[in-house]
Amino acid sequence: MPIVNAIEIRGLSVSFAARGSVVHAVRDLDLDVPEGRVFGFLGPNGAGKTTTMHVLLGFLSPTAGRASLFGEDVRRAIARERIGYLPENPDTYRFLSGRELLRMTGRLFRLSGRILRDRADRLIEELALTAAADRPIATYSRGMRQRVCLAQALINDPDLLILDEPTAGLDPIARLDIRRLILRLREAGKTVFFSSHELSEVELVCDHLAIMAGGRLAAQGPARQLVPAGESLEKFFVRVVSQPRGEM
Amino acid sequence: MRIRTIAHMVWLEAIRRKDVYVLLILLGGLLLALVSLNVFGLSGLVRYVADVGLLGAWLFGWILAVVLGARQLPTEESRGTIFALLAKPVSRAELMIGKWLGAWLAASLALAAFYVLTLAVVWARGGHFDPVTLLQALLLHLALLAVLTALALALSTRWHGDAACAGAFVLSGAAFFVVPQVPMLLPDMGRATGLLLHALYYLMPHLELFDLRRRLVHDWGPAPWDTVALTLFYGALFTAVLLMAAWLAYRNKRFPRSEWQ
Repeated sequence: MPIVNAIEIRGLSVSFAARGSVVHAVRDLDLDVPEGRVFGFLGPNGAGKTTTMHVLLGFLSPTAGRASLFGEDVRRAIARERIGYLPENPDTYRFLSGRELLRMTGRLFRLSGRILRDRADRLIEELALTAAADRPIATYSRGMRQRVCLAQALINDPDLLILDEPTAGLDPIARLDIRRLILRLREAGKTVFFSSHELSEVELVCDHLAIMAGGRLAAQGPARQLVPAGESLEKFFVRVVSQPRGEM
Repeated sequence: MRIRTIAHMVWLEAIRRKDVYVLLILLGGLLLALVSLNVFGLSGLVRYVADVGLLGAWLFGWILAVVLGARQLPTEESRGTIFALLAKPVSRAELMIGKWLGAWLAASLALAAFYVLTLAVVWARGGHFDPVTLLQALLLHLALLAVLTALALALSTRWHGDAACAGAFVLSGAAFFVVPQVPMLLPDMGRATGLLLHALYYLMPHLELFDLRRRLVHDWGPAPWDTVALTLFYGALFTAVLLMAAWLAYRNKRFPRSEWQ
């Protein structure tokens, strides 16, 4: 049986017309994310990380190339059956309570009855939202909102979790919770694909890395092999994204 | 199930935002003031109360249908929840139908409450409505709300919420007040303007067809059921066309955040 990658991207390019000029957000990107890995997707602002994620999630159509999730073309809704997604600076339906949000989200995956109830209750407990579960999300702190958004990304027990800057703006305890969660997902054999500017976090959890710069893939590989011995990920990252094209 | 879930969320938001209650209280206050002040000086003429009550139901139903329809997609986009929603196995067609259904059901519930309130005040003043005509008026009114909600939703696929709201009010206002007058204007128009008005007459929805208020208030008796059925079909057809247009406009829409990150 052929090995199916959780994410497979071939020759992906995304361009936009903006104020009379063309912006090449992503250029000719090839990327494989094998199942069961924690994959760090790095790059400075404007490198094309979020654009790539948005293509994977079907929000954007590529100008050229293709992408698939577990072998399904990302343009098909079915490709999103096995994934969970946490956007950057997530917000949600503040008029719902945390428990209602999880149940509504579960129904979008055709979950119902006891399975949905149990899964929502388990996530509420795991993400320390029990006391606030029946309160409107409007009353939650930023950290609690992040956790409830993460819980809704996990309600379908996804095989692939896509996280866009999951620790941005969070306090150290909330960051630690996210890190623990990622490690727990890895132990459970799930694939986690996430972008972050927090290189120290990335070093602690990722086994594979890809670095984008100027819409192109500047480096990729297993974390231990990619970063030369004696060099920190931060130094390596700065060196890679600062290099002129052709020297990468 | 997905369409039902999206509609349920729209419904919950509409109920919890309290817009409906504000309009209901406003209508109740208006009717009570009318009854207690007897502004027309015609004690016992409940027909005026009925007329004002139904006019209020029309106005408030119109406002709610347009506002609820127009704000669904722009609100999802501005607060960023569209990303989490579309990251689920939800197609844009399901999103569109779910949003329309939720907005229409919420506006319909509010409309039913407006009718009940008007009915209660009219009954309290010793008046009555013919039940069959009342049922016909309500059914046609619900069909009208379906068209208005779909129109506002369709405009909001490409415009911001406020612009879609304003556009839907202008278009539906023109459809209600101007389009029925077109045949009377035609004889005085030149050939080009006449052709334009003709096109307008056939392309715009004839919202006046859904209005049975006068028949209800003046107790003229029920309309023929085949006419009512045909008008309901006309409303359903217009709604379907508008939803199809909305889906076509939205199916490949790029969201601003995607372009710069």
